[in-house]
Amino acid sequence: MSYFSSLYYLAFLPAVFIIYNLFPKKVRPFILLIASLIFFYTYSKWLLVFILISALSIYIAGKLLNKLINEQNAEIKDLELEKKKLVKEKYRKKKKLILLGTILFNVAFLFYFKYLGFFTNVFNNLLSLFKFDSSFKIVRHLAPIGISFYTLEAISYIVDVYHEKCPSENNFFKLLLYLTFFPTLVEGPITRYNDVREDIYAGHKATYDSFCFGYQRILYGLFKKMVIADRLNIFVKMIFCDYNHFSGPLIFLGAIFYTILLYMEFSGTMDIVIGSAEIFGIKLKENFRQPFFSKSISEFWSRWHISLGAWFKDYIFYPVSLSKFVKKITSSLKKVFSTHVTSLVMGGIALFAVWSLNGLWHGAGYQFLFFGYYHFTLILLANIFEPYVIKICDKLKINRQNIFYKIFRIIKTCILVFIGEMFFRANSLASGIAMFKRLFTHFSFHRFGHYVLTLGLDIKDYIILGLSIIFIFIMSILKEKNVNVREELSKKNIVLRWLCYYALILSIIVFGAYGDGYAPVEPIYADF
Amino acid sequence: MEKLISILEELQPDVDYATCDNLVDGHFIDSLTILALISEIEDNFGVTVPTVEIIPDNFNSAKKIWQLIERLQEEE
Repeated sequence: MSYFSSLYYLAFLPAVFIIYNLFPKKVRPFILLIASLIFFYTYSKWLLVFILISALSIYIAGKLLNKLINEQNAEIKDLELEKKKLVKEKYRKKKKLILLGTILFNVAFLFYFKYLGFFTNVFNNLLSLFKFDSSFKIVRHLAPIGISFYTLEAISYIVDVYHEKCPSENNFFKLLLYLTFFPTLVEGPITRYNDVREDIYAGHKATYDSFCFGYQRILYGLFKKMVIADRLNIFVKMIFCDYNHFSGPLIFLGAIFYTILLYMEFSGTMDIVIGSAEIFGIKLKENFRQPFFSKSISEFWSRWHISLGAWFKDYIFYPVSLSKFVKKITSSLKKVFSTHVTSLVMGGIALFAVWSLNGLWHGAGYQFLFFGYYHFTLILLANIFEPYVIKICDKLKINRQNIFYKIFRIIKTCILVFIGEMFFRANSLASGIAMFKRLFTHFSFHRFGHYVLTLGLDIKDYIILGLSIIFIFIMSILKEKNVNVREELSKKNIVLRWLCYYALILSIIVFGAYGDGYAPVEPIYADF
Repeated sequence: MEKLISILEELQPDVDYATCDNLVDGHFIDSLTILALISEIEDNFGVTVPTVEIIPDNFNSAKKIWQLIERLQEEE
């Protein structure tokens, strides 16, 4: 049951809303849990057992960690400083064993379902490279829905309990709801237990206002997906499947359209996810913050899929850069090089780990690894050259706060993003490289206009796309300026309010790209 | 505190550390600067900054960073 299917937003969600409200406060979280398990089952059937195992593993590990923390605190209570350290060290080892065991256990499932086929293929390639006459059978398994998302949530919970940032949960069903919560299950955002644990179990009354506010957000998401993303899909498919027939400018246009499609599909899903949770009085953190206003690639990744970037920062970047191994390297470098260089090395090693994993998280394929290393290289280069860029700007008397300089940086970032997404969408790494080459080797506008109007899009489509993108752009500017359009709208009189809602509903019905001649975009991030 | 301010000024000049209270949230210091800062703090104040302490709240102002250092010194 996709978030974009009418079955979800016209039947499932209203049904859960009604049943949820029929029960008293204490029972409501269980209604959400049952709804979530049903939702999971519609996607993955018996694979439900794996999310139950994950939840059980972090539940037991959390309890064990809590027990050790309590024992440790009781033991060190009246001890001197030196003895305290010894006791803490003794318990630290035990706690670390539980932590690493639980992480490995959960990652093993992820590896089995998502990466086993890819790594068997890599291993077979290596064998044939060294002329070994044998290979292993490539087995691919259907993965439980949302495994890449709920595994990261499970890891964040257990790490936070280990660091005493979050209390261990005594109620298994509450923890299960955290992992399976149906709005966030398929495409995130990757929530933290501390951020949602109170809201998710509060059993807030789902009111008429929360219902209307939630559905407003859902409508906005449907608009992005059905009017823009689905309309661009055929053009994008044709360019990426048949790139050998197209010139460089057309391929680049395909990359731009794919990036717009991806943004509208993914951020549209997030609107539906956040709107769905809002109906039950649960506030989820935003996963996008106007990414196309970014002035650098690292800024882009702090505005795009925010919860994934934050997860990598907290659980990979800082732990790796402050690990004993990295500290050892940097402390010897410090004797010779400046602080800037040592922090670059420190951060560089951690960035490499982050982007290797980020690439792999997006998919088991060489093109995804390349996608990761592409961003790693861009961010590292930006960090290396930043002091020199500042010096050059000062010498040339360029004001870095000047609006034109900012626009120049935004355009530069967008072009780099389009190229990255082209590799990401390409059918393979070889296709991505071939497409990139064609951008330069086949740079010609011959029959450009003809193809632009015959690859699944006509003049009417371009007008609808243009107006819709302008609408989203205006909404984004307002959001960037901290104007809350929905709140402003709620202050207006009922006629104007409903006029806006009807306009949005009608525009989806009239201008939505469905039916003959269109192919809806499959949920892209659901595959991760 | 003076020592901390001089470290901060060396790492990221053009910020008024006496008044700025949104160093991280206002994007005055990025993650690389935080790493360099932690490295300097560990060398100069004899503390180890655990990753769990790297949250915006602990690094948003010179005062907050100083409070973190004092707390870590007490704990160690």
